[in-house]
Amino acid sequence: MARDGVVLEIDSVSKSFGALAALSSVSLAVQAGQIFSVIGPNGAGKSTLFNVVSGLHVPTRGRIRFRGRDIGGLEPEQINRLGVAKTFQITNIFPEISVFENVRVAAQSRARESGRLASLWRQPDVEGAASELLQAFGLAARRDEPAENLSHGEQRYLEICLALATEPTLLLLDEPTAGMTPGETREATALIRRIATARGLTVLLIEHDMSVVMGISDRIAVLHFGEKIAEGAPEQIRNDPNVIEAYLGPPDA
Amino acid sequence: MSRALTWRAVLVWAALAALPALPFMSKFYLLLAFDALLFGAIAMSLDLLMGYTGLVSFGHAAFFGLGAYATAVLLERGIVSLWVCLLFAVLVVGLYALVVSYFSTARRGIYFALLTLIFAEVVYTFFRYTQTFGGSDGIQGLPAPSLAPGFAIDTPLRNYYLVLVYLGLAYLVCRILVTAHFGRVLVAIRENEDRARFLGYNVQRYKMAVCMISALITGLGGALYPGRSAFATPDLMLWTVSGELIIMVMIGGLGTLVGPVIGGAFFVLLQEKVSSYVDWYFIVIGLVLIFIVLFMPRGLLGIRGLLGGRRWRATA
Repeated sequence: MARDGVVLEIDSVSKSFGALAALSSVSLAVQAGQIFSVIGPNGAGKSTLFNVVSGLHVPTRGRIRFRGRDIGGLEPEQINRLGVAKTFQITNIFPEISVFENVRVAAQSRARESGRLASLWRQPDVEGAASELLQAFGLAARRDEPAENLSHGEQRYLEICLALATEPTLLLLDEPTAGMTPGETREATALIRRIATARGLTVLLIEHDMSVVMGISDRIAVLHFGEKIAEGAPEQIRNDPNVIEAYLGPPDA
Repeated sequence: MSRALTWRAVLVWAALAALPALPFMSKFYLLLAFDALLFGAIAMSLDLLMGYTGLVSFGHAAFFGLGAYATAVLLERGIVSLWVCLLFAVLVVGLYALVVSYFSTARRGIYFALLTLIFAEVVYTFFRYTQTFGGSDGIQGLPAPSLAPGFAIDTPLRNYYLVLVYLGLAYLVCRILVTAHFGRVLVAIRENEDRARFLGYNVQRYKMAVCMISALITGLGGALYPGRSAFATPDLMLWTVSGELIIMVMIGGLGTLVGPVIGGAFFVLLQEKVSSYVDWYFIVIGLVLIFIVLFMPRGLLGIRGLLGGRRWRATA
C-alpha cells in the first residue's frame, strides 16, 4: 500500500488512555517534500499523534507506515534510525554541555561507528556536519557556550539542530515557535521553510497558532477532540465552517 | 591534548614509578601506596558510571570482592599464574555484572542504585553466611601469584609496580572510552536520557556496556588484592566499601577520571594516617569529608577549575 511519494501514512489510528480516547480513527498521508501541518485547539490530540508516530506511545488501533514500513509500536530509537526525527514542544536539549557538543552527539548517531564495537574507541568525523548546522541556524558564535545559557529562541533552534543532525527524511516539529515573539516566529517559520526545501525534507508540523501554519504549510489537517474534522490546502482550511466552529465555538453559542 | 598536559602526565607517571626509590618507602608504605593506587583506579572506573553516565552504583564492592575471591580460590588450589587468575576474575565478575547490569539498567535513578545494592548484598550474604568459601574468615594464607614460572609477585615492591601498571592501563582504557563516540553518548545519557533515545541511541545498551566495563575494571582490581594481602574475606564486599568508593569519586571530582584517582588515594592515606593516631578516626574522616563536600563541591580536582575559571565537568 506504499503509494509513490507517500512518506508517512497514518491509517485509522486510535489511542486511548483508559476511558479517554485521545485519538479516534485518525488518517492522513504526508507526501514527500510536503510541509504538512496538524492544527487544533489545546487537547485536540496533536501531541498524542506525534507521540504515536515517534514511538513514545503504542497506538491502540490502526497502522502507521513510514516509507511503506509499519512503525507502530517500535521504540523511539528505532524509529529515529529509520529516518524520523522529532523536536519537542518543551525544549529538550543537553543542558550542561556545549552547543557544539549537543549537535555533535546527535550527528554521530548516524556515523558509521554508531552501534558498533568501534564506537568504544573511535571518534567519528562529524564535526563538519555539526558546524554546518550551527551555521545555518545562526548559532555558530555560541558554539562553546553551555546549552543552558542560550536564550529561549536559540534553544528552540538548537532543538531543531539536534533533530536535523540525525539526517531524517521526515521531521516532526512540535510547536517549534512555542514561546517566541511574533517577530522571532516569522523568522523561524521562514527558516524552517528554507531548510526543509534545501534538504528535501518532509515536515509534519504541530501548531495551535493558526497564523504560523497558514504561511508555510502545503497541506493542513485539523484535529478536534481526537478526531480529524478537516483536511486541505491552507485556503480551504481558513474558510472551513467546522474549523471556525472548533476554534471559536458554535455560531449561536 | 596540549603539550603542557602531556608533560604533566609524563611527570606524574615518572614520579609514581620512582616513588619506591624514596628513602622512607618501607614495605609498609609500599603497601599503603598499593592500596592508594588500587582504590584510585577502582574509583576511576566507578566515575565512568557516576560522573559520565549519571548512574550511581551502590554495589561496586561486590565486583571488587568477587574479583578477589576469584583469585583467592585459584591460589588456594595452587593455581598461581596471575594470568589465569585475572582471566578467571574476568569470567566470574563478567557473568555477575551481566546479570546485575541487565536488571539494574532497566530502572533509573534511585532504583538503579538500590538494585545494585541489593545484588551486592546477596553476594555478600552468600560469602559471609555460607561456608562455601570460608564464611566470615574467607580464604586465608594464600601463596603469591606469579607473573611467569619462577617470578612470583611476592614482595611489596613487585605488588606496587603491578598495581601501577594496572592503574596505567585502566586509565588508558577509561580515557579512550570517554573521548570516543561511546563516551559522548554516555554524557548525553547523563544530561538527558530521553532525548538521547530520540536521537537514535539504544540507551539501555549503552548503560549496560558501561556498567560491564566499570565492573570488569573494578573486578580486575579486586583480583590483584589477594596477591597483596594473602587473603580474601567477605568484608571486601561489605556495602560500606561501595559507599567509600562513592565518597572517593565525590571528593576527587565527578566526571574527571583523574579526580577520583586522587580522591581514592587521598581517602586511603587519610584513613591510614588518622587511624594510626586515634581510634575514633571515622569522626575525623567524616569531618574532612563534610568540609570537602560543603566547600569544594567539585572535589579536589575542582580547586584548579575554580581558580582558572575552567569548566570542571566532563563534556561530551
